[in-house]
Amino acid sequence: MIPAKSGKRFTIVEVSEITGLDRTHIVMFIEREWVSPPERDVLDEEDVARIRLIRELQEDFGANDDAIPLILHLVDQLCHLRNQMWKQGQKEP
Amino acid sequence: MTKSPYETLGVSAKASQDDIRNSYRNLAKKFHPDLNPGNKEAENKFKVINGAYEQIGTPEQRAKFDRSETEEAQGGSSQPESGRRGPFYHQTQQGGGRYTHSFEGMDDDLLNSIFGQRGQDELYRMDVEFKDAVMGAEREIGLPNGKKLRVKIPAGVESGAKLRFAGQGNSGGKAPAGDVYVQLNVASSPLFKRLGDDLEMELPISVSEAILGGEIKVPTIDGSILLKVPSGVSSGQRLRVPGKGVPGHKGTKRGDQFVILKIMTPPTVDPAFKEAVAEWSKRQSFDPRASLGK
Repeated sequence: MIPAKSGKRFTIVEVSEITGLDRTHIVMFIEREWVSPPERDVLDEEDVARIRLIRELQEDFGANDDAIPLILHLVDQLCHLRNQMWKQGQKEP
Repeated sequence: MTKSPYETLGVSAKASQDDIRNSYRNLAKKFHPDLNPGNKEAENKFKVINGAYEQIGTPEQRAKFDRSETEEAQGGSSQPESGRRGPFYHQTQQGGGRYTHSFEGMDDDLLNSIFGQRGQDELYRMDVEFKDAVMGAEREIGLPNGKKLRVKIPAGVESGAKLRFAGQGNSGGKAPAGDVYVQLNVASSPLFKRLGDDLEMELPISVSEAILGGEIKVPTIDGSILLKVPSGVSSGQRLRVPGKGVPGHKGTKRGDQFVILKIMTPPTVDPAFKEAVAEWSKRQSFDPRASLGK
């Protein structure tokens, strides 16, 4: 159930190639703290997936800059609750 | 036959590029896996919608798709899955991620209130005969919900004790049923008084029995016995009947019954008896109040 995380690290240039977003956008996401890489300018796969989600929220859903942190916060809470529920489910006999 | 990307996006083949985009946006919003984490169906739908949009989302792609459609004959095109690569964000947070870690501990109460929720516990009161409380018994009671409950009254139970019947209460919908508690109200006995694991009773005896002694039939909690009363006993004297108290429970040994003697003078004294006692008392010096001092 828990996916093994690869532990891969990516530079901003690499992330830009993977996601098709230009570097200034990625830097802006980090500055706005929508994305918080484990180390400065070194991103992991959680960050990459998060950036891809932000791009989809902006481009596909038309979410504006004010809505992005709100949506991210709610998605994070949802993910956390799902994890907790899963843990609780494991505890139940 | 697979759906054409137009069908997948719910638009006509003549739809404008804006219509296609709007329709895609609406569907993608609804089925985006990060907004429906763990919902496989949504994830599959999203991939198909994404794939369809990649085919006709821009005028160039659309023209290319439409061309290949006519070349390959009707409906012959296969539907490519989304070109989206890499895990969805929620998948990177599964089992805990850096971004969801900050919520740790904050909703334990909420989760407990959801998962810990059980149907309400119920409390009922039950009257119990003195003897049943001492000796133990099994009785059936009916609950308001129609259920019957076999209540095993443990030997030696005290009044006010609550017995718990796990999971016999009301269920809270899907939640597990609550417990039923039965509180025992032990009736008093006209004969016996309980002192821990011992029972005490008052035994009236006649003057002649007190003087002559003898075997007297005495009730106990589980049937009568013959009690040997020695000659010359007094009122208030306690005689022990071993092993006739509260049966052993939780490793204790059975208690005793204590019999408190109470000498009863007949309400009408026989003149001959009175005379004999008067004659006898002249010749003896017993002072029952000697211990009270002069």
